Amino acid sequence: MISDENVIIELKDVYKKFGKHEVHKGINIKIPQGGITVILGPSGTGKSVLLKEMMGLILPDSGEVTVDGVDITKASKVELVNVRKKFGMLFQNAALFDSMTVYENVAFPLREHTKLKESQIKELVLEKLKLVGLTNVENKMPSELSGGMRKRVGLARAIVLEPMIILYDEPTTGLDPIMKDVVDDLIYSTQKKLNITSVVISHDIDSAFKIADYMAMIYDGKTILNTTKEEFKNSDNPYVVQFINGSKDGPIKMF
Amino acid sequence: MDRLLSLIGSPILNMAMGSGKLFLLFIDSVIWLFRPPFRWKQLFKQIEFIGANSISVIILTGTFTGMVFAFQSYIGFHKFGAEYMVGTVVGLGMARELGPVLSAIMVAARAGSAITAEIGSMKVTEQIDALHSLAVDPVQYLVSPRILAGVIVMPLLNSIAVFCGVVGGYFVGVEILGINKTLYLQYMYQYVDLTDLYNGMVKSLVFGVILTLVGCYKGLNVGGGAEGVGKATTESVVLSCVLILVFDYILTAFMF
Repeated sequence: MISDENVIIELKDVYKKFGKHEVHKGINIKIPQGGITVILGPSGTGKSVLLKEMMGLILPDSGEVTVDGVDITKASKVELVNVRKKFGMLFQNAALFDSMTVYENVAFPLREHTKLKESQIKELVLEKLKLVGLTNVENKMPSELSGGMRKRVGLARAIVLEPMIILYDEPTTGLDPIMKDVVDDLIYSTQKKLNITSVVISHDIDSAFKIADYMAMIYDGKTILNTTKEEFKNSDNPYVVQFINGSKDGPIKMF
Repeated sequence: MDRLLSLIGSPILNMAMGSGKLFLLFIDSVIWLFRPPFRWKQLFKQIEFIGANSISVIILTGTFTGMVFAFQSYIGFHKFGAEYMVGTVVGLGMARELGPVLSAIMVAARAGSAITAEIGSMKVTEQIDALHSLAVDPVQYLVSPRILAGVIVMPLLNSIAVFCGVVGGYFVGVEILGINKTLYLQYMYQYVDLTDLYNGMVKSLVFGVILTLVGCYKGLNVGGGAEGVGKATTESVVLSCVLILVFDYILTAFMF
């Protein structure tokens, strides 16, 4: 169980429809502060939508999304902008601005939201790039980088404003096993170094167990389980068991 | 019966919805223009892209239109021996109509499509979401500078087109067809006013808004990957051109 203290993001009875397709049919998730929460679920069950709802990029049809005490479904545009400043997000394909160099990408949030001098910006950018293990790439364009490097630049951009919460949208999808481990390690060490809240969307059960403090599983638009890693591992919920074992037989139907 | 009604109704509803959204985007981007931070760098970049890079195309279009126009109107005037009126017709036609419309259509095809493709691919690669996530409004960052650049640049491009057209018309009329030089110029000065030029300038301003607004709108509403970007780009050019011609009529009727 997750206690109600320390909860920084809470989704309560969230429903969302795209056209006739119901993506969320009552999602209830609590994200505790300080720690890594991994949200698992089969592909195509609206996990990315869930992240976007946490940031207010997509508004649910009904239900509440509370971030640090603010219900963003009722927030004004200005409040929403302030809430978004608490977030950093790493997109599935990094979503780097491809008209800018790596340096400009990472410096972008600083130039937008702070009045720092160019020398201070440079210092911060290089520091964050070093934190994600990149040196001498500042002047490259995103198209010149490999997938893993792009993700690391994306992470550097996400943490450069030192947000309270970092959202990761399938950070290890499409990476080779070694790069996967590197990214997992990066998520883990970033969380420990900066003591922030991390939310990871994934369907990769191995890396989930490696990095998670808390876990949640969604299937068919509903929350199946939302608890600590230990309890999740030992759960006898048939959905969870099937997903952990990676079996095609069970209550989760892919067809 | 139901199906028939929805067959007729849904495109009409879609169109109404589309134009509403287009208008809302316009209002939104105008509001953002007056809120800091001001995007000077973006604005100058867009002025260069939409304006400066279009100059060669506009010179060619303007010159050839003026030249063709001189030939065609010569045929008519030659029948009753008023060849010297060719200059007047070329001047009036370029300033009031052909300059603004053709320059706008050329820029819509060149820059409007590129705007849609650029913003559209930003959309499908989640860069628009990334802007949101960094608490930067895409309308302010991407749309407002482009629309303002369009408004600044189109009247300037129009004046280049008109100038080239008049020069081209003069070349064909006087040098090739041998119309009397003095009469040609005298009649042109006499019948073509500055108001005719202003008329075209007003049109250019409006067309500048249309082609950038449509370009941004189609780009922001791209759905479904690379194919969607291609489709949106085509739609953007078609819609821009149609709207340019429709508004051309409306503006002409008003300023007649």
